[in-house]
Amino acid sequence: MRMAAVFSKDERLRHIGHLDIMRAMQRALRRSGLPVSYSQGFNPHILLGFASALSTGAASERELMEVTLRGEVSAEEFLRRMNAALPPQMQLVRCFPLEEKGPALMSLVRAARWRVELLGEGAAAIAAAVPAFLQQEEIPSIRKTKSGEKEINLRPWIYSLSADGGTLHATLALSEQANCKPDMLVRALAAFAGTEAPRMLATREELMGEDPAGQLIPLEVLLSPCEDS
Amino acid sequence: MRIDPQKIETLLEQVQKAPRYTGGEMNTVVKKWEDAEFHYGFCFPDTYEVGMSHLGMKILYGLVNAQPDSLCERFFMPWTDMLALMEENDVPLFSMESRTPLCDFDMIGFTLQYEMSYTNILAMMKLGRVTLLSKDRGRDEPIVVAGGPCAFNPEPLADFIDAFMIGDGEEVTLQVDEAVRRWKKSGAQRIDCLRALARIPGVYVPEMYEVTYHEDGTVRAITPREDGVPERVRKCVVTDLNTAYYPTEIPVPYTEIVHDRIMLEIMRGCTRGCRFCQAGMLYRPVRERSLEKLTELAHALEASTGYEEMSLTSLSSGDYTCLAELIRQLMKDMEEQHVSISLPSLRIDSVLKESLEETQKQKKTSLTFAPEAGTQRLRDVINKGVTEADLIEKVTDAFQGGWSSVKLYFMIGLPTETYEDLDGIADLAQKVVRAYFAVPKGQRAKGLRVVVSASTFVPKPVTPFQWEGQDTQEEIHAKQAYLKEKLRAIKGVTFNYHESELSYLEACFARGDRRLGRVLLKAFESGCILDSWSDIFSMEKWIAAFDACGADMHWYAHRQREKDELMPWAVIDSGISDAFLWHEQEKARQGITTRDCRHGCNGCGLQRWKGVCAYANGSGVQQG
Repeated sequence: MRMAAVFSKDERLRHIGHLDIMRAMQRALRRSGLPVSYSQGFNPHILLGFASALSTGAASERELMEVTLRGEVSAEEFLRRMNAALPPQMQLVRCFPLEEKGPALMSLVRAARWRVELLGEGAAAIAAAVPAFLQQEEIPSIRKTKSGEKEINLRPWIYSLSADGGTLHATLALSEQANCKPDMLVRALAAFAGTEAPRMLATREELMGEDPAGQLIPLEVLLSPCEDS
Repeated sequence: MRIDPQKIETLLEQVQKAPRYTGGEMNTVVKKWEDAEFHYGFCFPDTYEVGMSHLGMKILYGLVNAQPDSLCERFFMPWTDMLALMEENDVPLFSMESRTPLCDFDMIGFTLQYEMSYTNILAMMKLGRVTLLSKDRGRDEPIVVAGGPCAFNPEPLADFIDAFMIGDGEEVTLQVDEAVRRWKKSGAQRIDCLRALARIPGVYVPEMYEVTYHEDGTVRAITPREDGVPERVRKCVVTDLNTAYYPTEIPVPYTEIVHDRIMLEIMRGCTRGCRFCQAGMLYRPVRERSLEKLTELAHALEASTGYEEMSLTSLSSGDYTCLAELIRQLMKDMEEQHVSISLPSLRIDSVLKESLEETQKQKKTSLTFAPEAGTQRLRDVINKGVTEADLIEKVTDAFQGGWSSVKLYFMIGLPTETYEDLDGIADLAQKVVRAYFAVPKGQRAKGLRVVVSASTFVPKPVTPFQWEGQDTQEEIHAKQAYLKEKLRAIKGVTFNYHESELSYLEACFARGDRRLGRVLLKAFESGCILDSWSDIFSMEKWIAAFDACGADMHWYAHRQREKDELMPWAVIDSGISDAFLWHEQEKARQGITTRDCRHGCNGCGLQRWKGVCAYANGSGVQQG
């Protein structure tokens, strides 16, 4: 069976990169004693998929992953056993079974909701600049790709943005084609406000998918519509 | 003292490899500071990746934290980027667990694995706001202890370390903890703590001894300063590994470290008696863990860590009595969890073909062999009981078994070495290549890779070669160049050799005396840190430090020592007698080998300690 699990990555672990988090999760699955499935081949690995790679430097409240199991396990048991096997800084928040033949989680992600705390000088100026910033039709930015740097327009990738004191709340595009990371947003904001980019602490609050009508909805709701999250 | 977490975060945002400093790993122990009566800071004087790979740290970390009133937290040497930022921003060295500064601990302990980590000890103390010189440290500062193999010659660190624990640490650590804890409560002077520590068997307190020198600079005498301080400090030996503490939960790092796997210590000590090998002498006698204990530990560790690999560690795992049975058992038990079993120190004359076949069920990495010397003559001199026929047979087995990558370890600069012995290295490499091509094409794996690695011999204390002068830099460079040329001609062979300058320095400190403390301090003050990292190491600074202190590197490293010279570490009783070591040295000169002590006691000196060595009998060689 396929089990979806929502987990958090605390601030203390924000510098741990995606590959390391993946390995830590694999080891936690092994510690949990849950009947996980392994890939075939020379170096068997646990069948585990993440909805999205979280950037190094960011914390998260609700990351999503899927695990393939050899037998039926209840969501409650999965949660209990995993949390006993995970460090306190990385805990499951919730889990639920997935449709056997459903698409990979990664293919369903469209956006992410972020909370970005701005620290130090420049934070106030940036927060004040948000309304005018959003009035722009073009927000030039640089996207780093494997082949080099590419100039892009950030504006269509910012679905929502507001400031609350020194904290930004944003829903930003997240897919292979369109990906706006919080540091790109903050750099663009700082440039617009004419200040240095301040230190920031980004926390991903939720991953978003798209309902049949094309509206953004939390990925968890899309995957398990009947359950309260 | 509490460090502002945001201040630490600011630094972490600016460094490479921040996970080295973040902590929060699985199975780390975070106790409430106030709940513990005794706070122990365990320091590994090298980077996180190196330190987290060290078994001793895991044992002692678990042991101290298993005591209800004690707390143990880890410290590592920060990399240069982090170090600079911490200094600039006035952030002291803080623990991985609670981010408490080093100076706030009751006791801090350094593990001494190699001499070239010594400047890191000073760097960590300075960054941790602990006064460097033992004699200047205040009542409220931590007691600074050290242990590990290099503690068998503690003298170069005598100015900085309050007490050294000699030998196995499992039991003495708790006794030292207890003494420090009692002293803390007592309100007595710092010197009273040192006095108490010096009276614990296995603990050496340099402050309690006076060293005098002859006019030629050699040591005249090492004398206790007061009654009740032992003339010699006898190393601690844990006689039964089955009852000794071994952790069943070990920290599992997020980031990749050097040895990222479960380490199952199957035995301690080695019976081979290779004459260059310090560990082989220091860790005597050989003690095995039982099959039952090992399977029990293996299960517990697998379940608590989730590691996908387990290595059976010891100095010579191939010599473990029931190795084949152990491997079979573990492979069977661990199959479902997909745990692969590896043997790191594969001795070419003892690994059964059978166990090779067992391990190959898992993935095939490179196989390592250590003939150490290129000719039978020189292998007899160093008592490395390995023949060319053995080696060729084992590599042939490996090539037939699907391996195509082989590493061969040698040393250059061994006593009595000639250029014929270097020719022997090239010859052996050539024969290994031929052994590969002798396996029919369809049966062997593609991509032959033979890596010949040559390190520079460093004479070490408590070995039969402790009297030997090291080859000079000129001699070593000439030998390296010669070998490089010889090996270049052989297809499929890569030659690796290490900077010999580091080995020169290592030779000075390995057999150095107390007077090197000044040199160490000078070198550190002039910027020497992380010396075992070749991109940072600066020989120029070291030479300048020796010069400034009027110390002669040549005298320490290259001088042939006399039989009756009092060694700086004479105060330490390793159990191995000088009479035995000298006898071995004489046999080495004549190219006469000494049998494995499993085949009969050779009288190394441990037979004097009743009930310590299972293989001991008789009185051994003439006792001096």
